[in-house]
Amino acid sequence: MLVLTRKLNQSIKIGDDIEITVLEVRGEQVRIGISAPRDVVVHRKEVFDQIKQENLASSEVDASDIPDL
Amino acid sequence: MITTTFQTARFGEITVEPADIISFPQGMIGFPNSPDYVLIQHQENSPFYWLQSLSIAELAFLVVVPTIFVPDYAPEVNLAVVEEIGISEETPHIVYTVVNIPRGRPDEMTLNLAGPIVIQPETRRAKQLVLEESKYSLRHRIKDEPAERAA
Repeated sequence: MLVLTRKLNQSIKIGDDIEITVLEVRGEQVRIGISAPRDVVVHRKEVFDQIKQENLASSEVDASDIPDL
Repeated sequence: MITTTFQTARFGEITVEPADIISFPQGMIGFPNSPDYVLIQHQENSPFYWLQSLSIAELAFLVVVPTIFVPDYAPEVNLAVVEEIGISEETPHIVYTVVNIPRGRPDEMTLNLAGPIVIQPETRRAKQLVLEESKYSLRHRIKDEPAERAA
């Protein structure tokens, strides 16, 4: 992993059209601004991982547990 | 009509017409290498469907139209997604959510309202959304939790 040190309001460029800026540092929280083309999907990793986990679990549902409605 | 057969773990060999294929250009979340799926109804008259992968025989997600259980469910579909799968404001789109049922505990069924699947009905292109900071839960319980559960 590439590791860079940045100060407040400094940025990192990824390729030509993605820019990540440190907007605020407060205790253990860092606010980050991301500007990227609209077709680049940006998510918090936890949310993405949780949805992946829900998908995985769903694919293992036992059909006999599905309720009749 | 040219049909193609696919092997699946749950349904054995299935026959698919091109018009039945639902295509996720970026796959489902966590499964980027499986773009094509078909919907297979769990049983006649059941609201539950299996979203069966056509590239991974073992992969089939249980899905349902969420408004059956959550009538006011209305996830916001952002512009990038709209463009990616070709939905416009006027295009009606179909929304499914992924269902989970812990083995042997159907009363604990949950819907993932934070990761809805949106399908453009004409092109059958689809995408699973990630709703960030949303009021919707990843594990929305359908039945109320029992007030007290025996240990």
